Amino acid sequence: MIRRKFKDSGFFKQLAIFFAILGPGIITGSVDNDAGGITTYSVAGAIYGYGLIWTLFPSFIVLLVIQEMNARMGIVTGKGLSDLIRENAGMKITFFIFIGLLLSNIGNTTTEFAGVAGSMEIFGVSKYISVPVAAVMVWFLVVKGTYKIAERIFLIFSISLLTYVVSALMSEPHWSEIGNAVIHPRVEMNTQSLAMVIALVGTTIAPWMQFYMQSSVIEKGLKMKNYRYTLIDIAVGCVVTIVVAFFIMVACGSTLHPNGIQINEAKDAALALKPLAGAIASQVFAFGLFVASVFSATILPLATAFYVSEAFGFEAGIDKKWDEAKEFYTLYTGILIVSAIIILIPNAPLIQISIWSQVLNGILLPVVLVSMILLINNKKIMGTYVNKPLQNIIGWSAVAILTGLSLTLIIMPLLSS
Amino acid sequence: MTSLTTFYLSGIIGKEAFGADGDAIGIIKDLLVNAVPSGQNDPNQQLVTGVRLKIKKETRFYSFKSFRVVKAREMLNVSCTGLIELSNEEVENGLLLVENILDKQIVDLNGRKLVRVNDVRLATLPAGTFAVAVDIGIEGLLRRIGIALPIKRILSLFKVNIPAKFILWDDVQAIDHSNLNIVLSKSYAKLHTLHPSDLADILEDLGKKSSMSVFSALDEEKAADVLEELETQTQIHIIENLPVNKAADVLEKMPADEAADIIDELEDDRAELLLKEMDTESSQEVRELLEYPDNSVGSLMTTDILSFKPEKTVQEVIEDLRSKKPEAAELYSLFVTEKNDELIGTFNLRDLVVAAPETLVGQIMKSEPVFLYDNQKVQDISELISKYNLLAVPVVDTANQLQGMVVVDDVVEDLINKRRTKKR
Repeated sequence: MIRRKFKDSGFFKQLAIFFAILGPGIITGSVDNDAGGITTYSVAGAIYGYGLIWTLFPSFIVLLVIQEMNARMGIVTGKGLSDLIRENAGMKITFFIFIGLLLSNIGNTTTEFAGVAGSMEIFGVSKYISVPVAAVMVWFLVVKGTYKIAERIFLIFSISLLTYVVSALMSEPHWSEIGNAVIHPRVEMNTQSLAMVIALVGTTIAPWMQFYMQSSVIEKGLKMKNYRYTLIDIAVGCVVTIVVAFFIMVACGSTLHPNGIQINEAKDAALALKPLAGAIASQVFAFGLFVASVFSATILPLATAFYVSEAFGFEAGIDKKWDEAKEFYTLYTGILIVSAIIILIPNAPLIQISIWSQVLNGILLPVVLVSMILLINNKKIMGTYVNKPLQNIIGWSAVAILTGLSLTLIIMPLLSS
Repeated sequence: MTSLTTFYLSGIIGKEAFGADGDAIGIIKDLLVNAVPSGQNDPNQQLVTGVRLKIKKETRFYSFKSFRVVKAREMLNVSCTGLIELSNEEVENGLLLVENILDKQIVDLNGRKLVRVNDVRLATLPAGTFAVAVDIGIEGLLRRIGIALPIKRILSLFKVNIPAKFILWDDVQAIDHSNLNIVLSKSYAKLHTLHPSDLADILEDLGKKSSMSVFSALDEEKAADVLEELETQTQIHIIENLPVNKAADVLEKMPADEAADIIDELEDDRAELLLKEMDTESSQEVRELLEYPDNSVGSLMTTDILSFKPEKTVQEVIEDLRSKKPEAAELYSLFVTEKNDELIGTFNLRDLVVAAPETLVGQIMKSEPVFLYDNQKVQDISELISKYNLLAVPVVDTANQLQGMVVVDDVVEDLINKRRTKKR
């Protein structure tokens, strides 16, 4: 058997398996660095310099543990997270989670379009042109069924996220200071600083990603037998997320922070980089922002419509006709239209929308995590693949810390005002 | 008391049941239904036979015979005249509405797809209480969250109705979502009415455990047909998780080329194990097909073909077909071979039917047939098939010996797989 022999030769076989499995983790990792993330990292870098870079390391561990749980659940059950929640958590919790997910993702999608508008303005394109064009393009891309190809193109484009590394290196960072800041983590105990920490963690571990990760794993048809390759895939994805975040914070921390430039949007960061690090650094930053925004604006509304439909038992899938899956298409189109329109309203409170969708994310995340940990420890569902004690310890501590952070985020504005 | 009371499962779960003296007895957690024959030609009715009641800290099953559901001024009241505990056996033979049906996916036999159950509609008749239909509409969702009535009132101001969507119990098939393989797997009978392609779509949408439980309940013939229609991923999952002897039985029933495609995707150890378990004839055919490299005509062809000697009469051929009862695809084209299996001609059913019984095959066949070599590239097939308008093309090896044929179905499938930008 000729082709069997080829498949069997050790190293190549392993390499082939790895590339076949590669994907879910890395794509999820790339989508994670969306416009909202880039904005948050830039703002954090501009205000606190290298001061908050350390938050990326605990975030990395939690991200890794959570995504591993999603992958394991997907592989063992072959069911999406929304299916599992609906079947095991009851209607009321399901309703809360998915209405929350819907609202926060409309907010997130709005942030993506803000990213599109902002980055194109750097290149001199008005948002009244760039946003509608991007929205229509995204809609056609998905509904006319070239989504899978698009996903691959985007994955290649997402390499452009590494342009942030270039941006950062051009900004001549002070490595010894960075090292020092990472080794001695510090939080100033005030509203603004704590809120920034919460936003950083919240944007790195967004609730909808858990759903996304689990269904990509199922779609890939991965098996427990090749689990170590899946683990590598997840680890690579998490590293990509954190590395990009790190360099954005370094870039903004080395240029904007020493000069005392305050920014509100990622676009401001790109503009502010211009006089300090040169026009090319600014354009590179803007291009990365544009790609990240369009990528996430494609995936977010689609994924949201899909999970909400799945949970409520509506027909879903872009291979269905409009009449067969009315609720799904209405949701999908609705999210796109609403978010695009919000951006086009003159003087829309974009910062508030972005902050509020982060808050919603923050409240949602512990709820989703608790559901996940309960599901994955359920022997009826997971059989022998339930969590190990260490995974539970990390999982529950993450829930405790995140809940604490979210509560602080909600309570603090009340106290300070 | 009215003779007919209808109510929803969500309306009585979590409610207190009251005794004759008006005292609360316990909280209703679940209802148990059993299929009872209702008449000669009528399908089975789902009689509520038991109720899971939480009394203080303990949850037990009691017979529903002594329970009564009454609707008074839009309020449901459950009264109970006595508690008779059910045996384990009685509980195991039934179906639990909350545990097995509510919020779970079930098969809608008319729509031929999976639907999610938002609520169950029940009716109390003089003969007992029955589960009548499942609610899969938005109204059911809103009712579960407890906001159906206010929303209905608001919408009625705008003259908008929330569409209710029900499926009668006769038209649904519950799926076993646990891994306990309860009584359900015996009663997947209703699924046999579905076309293998529809059944395959449903299996793909089910989780891993449930798809196994449904597949295992199919008989071998149906299982083979369904397996053929599944996507590679699901095929592998199923073959890997079936017991070896059952998997081998199903593979034997499949056309050799389809079986070879599946086995080729398996781990070598598992593949060898299955090939050993299959009967020699089937496994031999599969092994031969496995020798062909991917992308060659040989890897796509079927070896289930019918060939005849030229000196046979039409009468003999027809009798032969009657006794063999071949699958439809095998009849797309019939072949004529000399000794050594050398291909000399083809004929089809039409040629056979219009010819007089005593005519010889050699007289009705088309000689110098169009054919493919087994080592040719797959890409060459579609051109040939479309050029000559063929349903099937014979495949020969370099010695001109007939090896099999490529049927148009497989070519179309192959083309679609290549062109399709795979969607979610």
